[in-house]
Amino acid sequence: MSDENIEANDGAPDFSDPPQTPPRSAPDAEPKLPMQGIRVLDLGTFLAGPHAASVLGEFGAELLKIEHPIAGDPMRRFGTPTKRHDATLAWLSEARNRKSVTIDLRQQEGVQLFLRLIEKSDVLIENFRPGTMEEWGLGWPRLREANPRLIYLQVSGYGQTGPYRRRSGFAHIAHAYGGLSYLAGFPGETPVVPGTVPLGDYFSSLYGAIGIMMALRHREKIGRGQVIDIAIYESVFRQLDEIAASYGLFGKVREREGSGSFVAVPHGHFRTQDDKWVAIACTTDKMFERLAEAMERPELASSALYGQQRKRLAARGEVNQIVIDWVGALPRAEVLERCLNCEVPVGKLNSIADIFEDEHFQARGNLVRLEEPGLGEVVIPGVVPTLSATPGRITNLGPALGNATYEIMRELLDLSAEEIKHLRQRKII
Amino acid sequence: MTTPTHEENLPLSGIRVIDVATVIAGPYCAGILGEFGADVLKVEHPIGGDICRKYGTPTQRGDTLAWLSEARNKKSVTIDLHRREGVEVFKKLIEKADVLCENFRPGTLEKWGLPWETLHEINPGLIMLRVTGYGQTGPYKDRPGFARIAHAVGGIAYLSGMPKGTPVTPGSTTLGDYLTGLYGCLGVLMALRYREQTGIGQYIDAALYESVFRCTDELAPAYAMFGQVRERHGPTHNDFACPYGHFPTKEDGKWVAIACATDKLFARLAEAMGRPELASSSLYGDQKTRLENRHDVNEIVRDWCGSLTRDEVLKRCNATGAPAGPLNNIADIFGDRQFHARRNLVSMDVEDLGETVIVPNVIPRLSETPGRIRHLGPRLGEHTESILTDLLGMNADEIGELRKKRVI
Repeated sequence: MSDENIEANDGAPDFSDPPQTPPRSAPDAEPKLPMQGIRVLDLGTFLAGPHAASVLGEFGAELLKIEHPIAGDPMRRFGTPTKRHDATLAWLSEARNRKSVTIDLRQQEGVQLFLRLIEKSDVLIENFRPGTMEEWGLGWPRLREANPRLIYLQVSGYGQTGPYRRRSGFAHIAHAYGGLSYLAGFPGETPVVPGTVPLGDYFSSLYGAIGIMMALRHREKIGRGQVIDIAIYESVFRQLDEIAASYGLFGKVREREGSGSFVAVPHGHFRTQDDKWVAIACTTDKMFERLAEAMERPELASSALYGQQRKRLAARGEVNQIVIDWVGALPRAEVLERCLNCEVPVGKLNSIADIFEDEHFQARGNLVRLEEPGLGEVVIPGVVPTLSATPGRITNLGPALGNATYEIMRELLDLSAEEIKHLRQRKII
Repeated sequence: MTTPTHEENLPLSGIRVIDVATVIAGPYCAGILGEFGADVLKVEHPIGGDICRKYGTPTQRGDTLAWLSEARNKKSVTIDLHRREGVEVFKKLIEKADVLCENFRPGTLEKWGLPWETLHEINPGLIMLRVTGYGQTGPYKDRPGFARIAHAVGGIAYLSGMPKGTPVTPGSTTLGDYLTGLYGCLGVLMALRYREQTGIGQYIDAALYESVFRCTDELAPAYAMFGQVRERHGPTHNDFACPYGHFPTKEDGKWVAIACATDKLFARLAEAMGRPELASSSLYGDQKTRLENRHDVNEIVRDWCGSLTRDEVLKRCNATGAPAGPLNNIADIFGDRQFHARRNLVSMDVEDLGETVIVPNVIPRLSETPGRIRHLGPRLGEHTESILTDLLGMNADEIGELRKKRVI
């Protein structure tokens, strides 16, 4: 999900007079983190781009979410609503670690304030439709003039160049356009959503964050920032292993593969006797040998039968049927146990309810529980990746709209209380 | 993105990466670092090498297209780590390395006498990416894992497919590998930054299932707070927005995706359909009403799409700025103007194959220091001799001896 101008939606509640920021914890209360001292302005909406900020923030960067004073990020209204009128659950989780600062970039004074923030920041992230920043007088030449060291991540559906650059794009569209959605579903049947709708937002954010890290390295050598131009569809397309190479060389158009895969057999989802599902992935011959052993039919892995991937691919239907029959005759717990005893790659198709019960998720701390005033406990996914010396952290859930506007205007931009009041009255902040 | 950049100006020039990982996740991290200037040494078993060489469509050279594409820019050095002499050579490489990517099952490096403590002692600045199915800790750490299993365990396989139907592969079986490569790469880059500040290396513990689970938006908080278990949605996803899904056009097998995340976007779609009244407040103007009447709204969109060719649907949507796109297959992609304009497909000659292979170009796209692809996946052991000679200063006799003993 990228794009879309910040919308002053008539129906949106007015958050223009937020509570004051709670006191910050002492800066030395935390161990040193890799991104400490880096200030990121997150001007993005939804997730494509903002997730890059989230990861950097988990590892110590200061994140200022810049939002429209009235509507804020539409992500605040995307997902399951909560008792906090400015926050869905998706917002609470994915706007983690941010401070919210409101500025109306459609007003000249807002633009000036924003440029002053740019002077004091290291990274800017935005995902408007290409051309929007320029309309506001905030094109790259202007930003670079304000801060030659600035690193500027632009995420959009189709990128900053090319004939489709002005089209609006969301991950859902990018999955389709980038070739992923076409592959999800049964052959000849309805293509389905590949798991979740915002996957491409995460992909593009990760590429964006990697670009930012590289640009920071370059800046340390050269002293200058640069622009990172990410198209969501490109991030999706980059995930598709050899699809381009095999079409280019052999003219092969990959089609939907149901629950299987073109590279290996058996490699798919199988229904158990108790009407649950397991995934089995025999990526190599050795893995199949182990499965044959788990099925107590080691002869299946002989070279005369299905010992080689080539033969299994040629006899895909038969091999799958053998596994379907075996799995279908046993309860899930039994399939898992037998497979795991033989070290077959196997896993439950976990629903979120399964995940909450899973001992491994618990042991790894993948579910982080945070108390949110007025809401009680909110459970969100923990930090990924895990670093041994400098583990990341989550300091707060998605903030109230404008919760840090005063603090930032006062402390970072040195405005007087009087000036801030005037800006507020005119709804510039 | 292959504009000439002086190698020494690339962000990772001077960084040496040892990639001893297999298939995609760990190697993909090394691949990205290599595109941006790192020197990547792929350390492989002398017989067979990385199993990625056999993963995918075989070429006449014996290794697969997946290998050619994803082992881009790497040098292949063969070392048998099951042998003591091999471990000694490997330790010398570690002394001269900045980053190590591995994806053995927990305990394997330890078994070879290469635990983190030893590696860290040999080279205190070393950064190690460890990729496994389940991570280095926790009750399942010893289980074998591939991306397919990670999709299942991490919760996205359960969500892919028709409601109550067989769960399907979420588009591609290796998504979780790429995702983990990305999170891992980010970890490596942050660890490099920390090392520059402190001189201290560290390791990154990346689990395939965790990368998948991290990308599930509000799946976890919604279950925790409201007990809501998300199920398979088929071609439409109307938990948060409507219309949001895949719709068939008049042409067989040609689908479009439409995503009206906000009211404004639905108004644009209504305009594209020539029925602006649908977006009025008395009809379906607000998200809440559309979600309550999702079947009716989807039906209206389905009827409209079904009456037009794909090109016509897209043309009308693009004219009003309604978010829509084709469900491209790879043939569509090869014919697409935007892919060409952005140079997303790059043709590389593979000399000893005598063919041109088309692979996805570098992402992310950096303005001052664009990455580059110098060559595709190397032959097994192609660079063993030059690396042992030039980097480790070994002489021809020593190398000959190791070769004879099949250590390299």
